[in-house]
Amino acid sequence: MKIFTCKDRFEDMMTCIYVAWEEALKIGHENVHVQREPIFQESLFDQYIHVDADMDKVQKVVRSIKGQISYEAYSYVYYASLSIREDALQAIYNFLRVGFATGPAVCSMHANPHVMRIFDIKRKVANESHHFLEFARFNSLNNQVYVCHLEPRSDVIMLVGRHFEDRMPSEHWMIIDDNRKTACVHPKDGETYLRYLTSEEFEALRTTETYEDPYTDMWRGFFHAISIKERENRRCQRTLFPIWKRKHATEFMQ
Amino acid sequence: MMEKIDIMKNMQSSNNVNMQSDTVSKCELGVVKDFSTQEKLEILADAAKYDVACTSSGSDRRGQKGMLGNASAAGICHSFAADGRCISLLKILMTNHCVYDCKYCINRASNDVPRATFTPEEICELTVEFYKRNYIEGLFLSSGVLKNPTYTMEKMCETLVLLRTKYHFNGYVHVKTIPGASDELLARVGYLADRMSINLELPTAESLSKLAPNKNFHTILEPMGKVRDTIAAHRMAIGKDRHMERASGNQYLGNSIFQSRQDMLSSNNHGYIDKGNAEIAKILGVGNQYLSTAHNYELAPRDLTNLKRSFAPAGQSTQMIIGATGETDYTLIQTTQQLYTGYDLKRVFYSAYIPLNEDAALPALGTAPPLLREHRLYQADWLLRFYGFRANELLSEKKPNFNELLDPKCDWALRHINQFPVDVQTAGYELLLRVPGIGPTSAKRIVQARRYGKLDFDALKKMGVVLKRAHYFILCGGRQMYKTPIEEQYITRQLIGVDHKQNWKVAHSSEGYNQMSLADFGIA
Repeated sequence: MKIFTCKDRFEDMMTCIYVAWEEALKIGHENVHVQREPIFQESLFDQYIHVDADMDKVQKVVRSIKGQISYEAYSYVYYASLSIREDALQAIYNFLRVGFATGPAVCSMHANPHVMRIFDIKRKVANESHHFLEFARFNSLNNQVYVCHLEPRSDVIMLVGRHFEDRMPSEHWMIIDDNRKTACVHPKDGETYLRYLTSEEFEALRTTETYEDPYTDMWRGFFHAISIKERENRRCQRTLFPIWKRKHATEFMQ
Repeated sequence: MMEKIDIMKNMQSSNNVNMQSDTVSKCELGVVKDFSTQEKLEILADAAKYDVACTSSGSDRRGQKGMLGNASAAGICHSFAADGRCISLLKILMTNHCVYDCKYCINRASNDVPRATFTPEEICELTVEFYKRNYIEGLFLSSGVLKNPTYTMEKMCETLVLLRTKYHFNGYVHVKTIPGASDELLARVGYLADRMSINLELPTAESLSKLAPNKNFHTILEPMGKVRDTIAAHRMAIGKDRHMERASGNQYLGNSIFQSRQDMLSSNNHGYIDKGNAEIAKILGVGNQYLSTAHNYELAPRDLTNLKRSFAPAGQSTQMIIGATGETDYTLIQTTQQLYTGYDLKRVFYSAYIPLNEDAALPALGTAPPLLREHRLYQADWLLRFYGFRANELLSEKKPNFNELLDPKCDWALRHINQFPVDVQTAGYELLLRVPGIGPTSAKRIVQARRYGKLDFDALKKMGVVLKRAHYFILCGGRQMYKTPIEEQYITRQLIGVDHKQNWKVAHSSEGYNQMSLADFGIA
């Protein structure tokens, strides 16, 4: 089997799908596999081929998905590409095989296992992004810049950033992904962009969460005052606000 | 009663004097301390926590350059408190001074609790600074009655004007209307807030007069009717339907409570009393005179062509206390339905009564709040709004309360076992929705997916159908999942087993318990 591998970025993944598909037309879809790097353990009898991003091929793939399947299908693919699941890229590939064969109806074929798989992955990413736009907490640096740290499993900070772009267009703010060391930066009244942080930049930004002001205390006070003792239900709280998502929430920090 | 209010007013003014002169930090009855903003926030959030509604849904508004905030139609929760309730809005009272003496309320005039009042600037700054840090989705502003309703409402109005203009706040605002405030203020608030609500407090006029001697149904339902009509007028002025938007699935449900509204609000004739209002009047026990739709446009300007703002775009909601008085679930759910159809409310909230004050007319202190009952009522509320059920299908005069052991939908299905099993391949959307374990999302997916192939139980499970409940009632390819008899007694036993643990958890969610150890018996 030929296994095509690529970096964990949208452009690389789309190119990888293009190259793998090209090969599959010769040797059959069953004999190709796509996977994201890093690959921890290579199997003995498969051939590994690394693919680098090529903007022409990316555009071809994106154009065909939008044109021949639907815009909705493209959004499935985009969301799935952000997922942390190991099989996300292969799920996209399988979904596209069904998609190009059936056309726009593919998004309603909930009984098809490949469609259901990508739907599941997409839903997890969308839910995670929604949770982090709820649970993101900004710290104010002298009322000038607002900085937020997140540790999402999937790569959702640009999705979260898009929400805040509409919400706070006239403030300086940035959202930092601590695991991937990337930042979604928004200058006042400007364009939001993604930045890969250098380690010095990351170290400098790391301590922003220790910046306290009266409002952080007031928020904690409010958080405790608003709960009704007679109805206390920690299990329900944990279901709705899982502990791993509380890591950067001001109200749970002491 | 007037005498009492006067006394309270005097107390109030003497308090104000104290506030200016006395900065000694001693909090005795009649002496008001100068609280810091943090202390005020804690007092007034604590006083507001019994208000249930903390939703930020219903408004969809894009952000603007130079402004702060937007609103998203689905609503966004920001945190979850220790009781598992969501924190979406900065839920505070403007003041917890109150001249009213409602028996169930923690802030009643006769209670000795620390009292504080926010200035409009304090509220605005808190809202904006919290919002920028993404702690909240907007402001929920309620208040005790300071001096009189109109004065209180004027202060709240002042706060909102400041928030929307000076602080350029464009996020979500929910305002509790104070019953008895003047129409001009009601109208002003409508243009500033996203959602307005006025608490019904208790489901019948009788209980209201018993527990809240200073309030009556007239002052609650009249503004509700006026706001409904003004919202309708504004919606029509921008080319929308006069009724609020409802869950999209409702358009396929012939029996839905929202289908028959068309004729209900259709007449603007003065003095016309519509059917919904007549019915609600009967249930609520008040005369019809309050409930005419004569006041259309009363709050709106004559000419609606140059509107800059919409009027309460997220509609109205209300809240009822349950368990403090002896109403049956049937009365509650009938009232709810009438409020949705007659007053076009977006939501009706229920609040399980927590005994805070000692009074002969109320349950004793330490009575556990009826959480399971509240849960069942919310389940029924969802059946009304999303599933096309009607109040009289769920309960009746003969069976006025919900089953503790089974949820209302299972209960309905078991009483109509002759309509089951249904084949998922052919059954209509309306019927699919009535199967326990299938909701609006999974029903929609089934309808979409079966056009492209046969469904099996595995696929149903992936689509989100809860098979542990549904498998008794459905067929896939002419077969049941397991060979189970379609028999009321048998399925009832099985379903009670499925839900037993869940029900116990809801009913006992607030109790703490520990693992027993030998030390408990004195054996170390």
